[in-house]
Amino acid sequence: MQRMAFKPRSVAAAALALTTFGAFAQAEIAGQAAASGSPVPRNISVPQARLDAARGDGVNFLHSNGSYEQTRYYPADRINTKNVAKLKPAFIFQTEVVESMETAPIVVDGIMYVTTSYNHVYAIDAATGKEFWHYKHKQGPVTTYCCGPNNRGVAVMGGQVFMGTLDAKLVSLDAKTGKVLWSTQIADPEAGYSETMAPVAVNGKVLIGTNGGEYGIRGFVKAFDASNGKELWSFATIPDKGHEGVWAANDATGRNMLRDIAAEKKQLADKGGDFYKTLGGGVWMAPAIDRDTSTVFFVVGNPSPDLYGAERPGDNLYTDSIVAIDLNTGAYKWHYQYVAHDVWDLDAVSPVILTEAKGKDGKMRKVAIHGGKTGHVYVHDRATGELIRFSEAMVPQENMWVLPTKDGARMLPGANGGVEWSPMAFNPKTRLVYAANLHQPMTYHVEQAAYPGGKLWLGGAFKVIASEKQWGRLAAVNIDTGKIAWKFDTEQPLIGGVLTTAGGLVFNGEGNGLFRAFDAKTGKKLWEYQCGAGVNAPAVSYTVGGKQYVAVAAGGNTQLDFKRGNSVIVFALP
Amino acid sequence: MIAAALASAGAAAQAPPGPEVCDGCHGKDGNSALPGIPVLAGQTSRYLYLQLRDFQEGRRSSDQMTPMAKSLSRDAMRSLADWYSKQKQTPQPFKPDPDKARLGAAKAAETLCTMCHQGGFLGQNEIPRVAGQRYDYVVKQLSDFKARRRTNDAGNMTSVSNTLSDADIENLGHYLAGL
Repeated sequence: MQRMAFKPRSVAAAALALTTFGAFAQAEIAGQAAASGSPVPRNISVPQARLDAARGDGVNFLHSNGSYEQTRYYPADRINTKNVAKLKPAFIFQTEVVESMETAPIVVDGIMYVTTSYNHVYAIDAATGKEFWHYKHKQGPVTTYCCGPNNRGVAVMGGQVFMGTLDAKLVSLDAKTGKVLWSTQIADPEAGYSETMAPVAVNGKVLIGTNGGEYGIRGFVKAFDASNGKELWSFATIPDKGHEGVWAANDATGRNMLRDIAAEKKQLADKGGDFYKTLGGGVWMAPAIDRDTSTVFFVVGNPSPDLYGAERPGDNLYTDSIVAIDLNTGAYKWHYQYVAHDVWDLDAVSPVILTEAKGKDGKMRKVAIHGGKTGHVYVHDRATGELIRFSEAMVPQENMWVLPTKDGARMLPGANGGVEWSPMAFNPKTRLVYAANLHQPMTYHVEQAAYPGGKLWLGGAFKVIASEKQWGRLAAVNIDTGKIAWKFDTEQPLIGGVLTTAGGLVFNGEGNGLFRAFDAKTGKKLWEYQCGAGVNAPAVSYTVGGKQYVAVAAGGNTQLDFKRGNSVIVFALP
Repeated sequence: MIAAALASAGAAAQAPPGPEVCDGCHGKDGNSALPGIPVLAGQTSRYLYLQLRDFQEGRRSSDQMTPMAKSLSRDAMRSLADWYSKQKQTPQPFKPDPDKARLGAAKAAETLCTMCHQGGFLGQNEIPRVAGQRYDYVVKQLSDFKARRRTNDAGNMTSVSNTLSDADIENLGHYLAGL
C-alpha cells in the first residue's frame, strides 16, 4: 500500500491541488449562485439558546462537532450496546459529486444540511432522504488548496446556513430556500488561502480560520457579522512581533528538538523577522467556544515552508500551538506550543474539545484537550493553558526529533500523524477520549526554497517508505490519567473522526469502506457495515419522530487516496 | 466556471490586446524562432499566468520580461495565458541528435520527470509543458535551476537538476525538443 504522503500535502499532489480557469471537473464548473430544487417545507430557526444547549440536545445535531464544547458526544441512547448489532441503512443519500467527503452533516428539526467537495450544499429530509434544495457554489477563477477539494460542513444560526469555500469566501444561505443571502471574500486565493473547515456560528458572529500552511499564507481566525458578512475582528495566528518566542529547546513532552538555536538567533539578527508575512499557521478545524468566559479555542497548524526552517528562525509562534482568544474582540488570551520551529509538519490540526478532567491534585478542572499528530492527547487547564498532562503515545514514535536531510531521514510518526484533522470524541461516562490515528512510516527531506508566491511551498518532501506497513489505530485514552484504556487496530491508516453516544457506543470508519460501532468501555467491535467507499468523515447522530439515526459520509479521501464515493449513509434500528 | 470557459473561448477567436506585442520575440502564436526565447504555444494556462505574476512580483527576473509584466493586470495576464495555451505548437527547425535524445530519454525516465510533467511531457496546471520546447531554452532553464539563478518553483527543480551533469542537461534538451 504505497500512498502519497500529504496533508503533509506533497509535491506531486501540488499540481492536482491547484485548479484553475476552465480546466476542471464538472462538479466544480457547473456553478450557480442560487439553489435549485424546492424550499424546505417548514420554517427553520435556530436561536442562540438552542445552539448553547446543543451538548444536551438528544434530538438535533446543531454543530459540526456536536456542540460548542466539541465533545462529539450525542446524548441519546435508543441505539446502544445491546441493540446496535441490528443497525441497518435507513436510506442512502447520493450527492452528485464523487470526490473526497470529510463532511459532518448538521441536523435541525428533521432537516439535514450536508456538504460535498467543491462546496455543494444539500438540504434533505433527515428521516427519508428526500432532497429539498441543492446549492452549487460558483468558484472564482483561481483556487489553491492542499489535500483535496474538501468541505467539512456548515454552521447554522437563526434561519441561516454558513459555509466556507475553496475560493476563500464565506457564504450565508437561507436555510429554507438555499438562496445566497450574502457572500464575503475572506482572503486572496492566489496567495494560497482557501476554506475547507466548518465555520462556527455564535451570538451573531460567524467564526472561521483558513487553510494555506503549505502555501506561505499568514494564518488567522476571523469573526464576521452574521447579518451582513462584514468582518468584525481578525486574530493573526502569526504575530508580527515576538514570533521567535522563548527559543524552546524541547517539545511539550520534554524531548530535545535538535535545534541550532545559535544559528537561528544569528539568522534573525542578520535578516530580521519579516518572514512572518508568509509563515503559515493555518487553522483547519472549527474552534471550540466557552460561552461562560467568552473564549475561543483552536489549534494552529505548521509553519511555512513545512520542512525548510533555516530562513524562519525562532519558535514560529503560534504555529503548532493551542491558542485561546476573546470571543468578542479576538484579543489574545494564552497559547501553549507543542512543537517549536517545526520542520516535520507534525503540527496541530484536530479540533479542541472542552470538558473537565482531574488536575494534578486529583480535583476536577475545566480543561481544553487536543489530539496531536505526534500521537499524544494533551490536556490543558482551560483558563491558563498550562499543560496538565499528555497521554502515552498512541502510535509508534521512533527517532524523534531527527532533522530532515537532503536524502531523507526516517522518523515516526510520519507527517500525517498520529491524529490528523480527524475530530476526537469524549464520553463523560467512560472518561475516555477516542482518537483516530495513522501509522505511516516516512522519510523527511529538506530543500532550500524561496517563497514561490502562492505556489506549493514545502521546502522538501515527505516520502512514504514503501517497504513498511501502514495501519490505523482507534485509541481510547483516559483523560484523567493519560493512559490508553483500549485500542483497535485497522488495516488502513485512520482519517475521518469519531462519534460517541450515551448508548455506550463509539462510531468510526475506515478507508476500506467499513463503518463500525464499538463498546465505548471495552473497545469490543459490536457492528460493522461495508459502505462501498472510504468512510473518512466523522459520523453524527440525531432523532426524528422518536427514532434515532446515525449518519456518515462515505466519499473516500484525496489525501490518502481512499476510494471515492458520493453518499451519505443513514442508519437506524429496524 | 462554464461562464469563464465560454469567455476564454471567445478570447481565442479574437486575440486579447497583448500578443501582438509578444510576437516580436515569442513569434506568431507563441512559436518562438529566437534563441533563448521559449515557445508559448500550447503551454498550460496556469503555468503561463503564474510566470507572468512571478515576473511582475520579482520572484523571477529577466531583462525583457520583467518590464513587460510590470504593467499587466491580473485579468490581462489570465487572458494572455489562456490565449497562448490554446495556440498550436508548430514543428521547429532544430534537429535533435538521435543519440543524445536517446540518452536524454533514459535520463528523464530515471529522474521520474513525468511524475509532475505528465506523460508526453504535456504539463498540467502549474507544471509546464516541456515537449517541443526549444533546445537552448531547456538547457538554460535547467542550468539556471541547478545554479539557483531561477528559484520561483519552491526548490523542486533545484532538487532535481542537482542530480544532472552538463551532458545530461544537453541530452535532455535534445530529447524534449524532439517531442
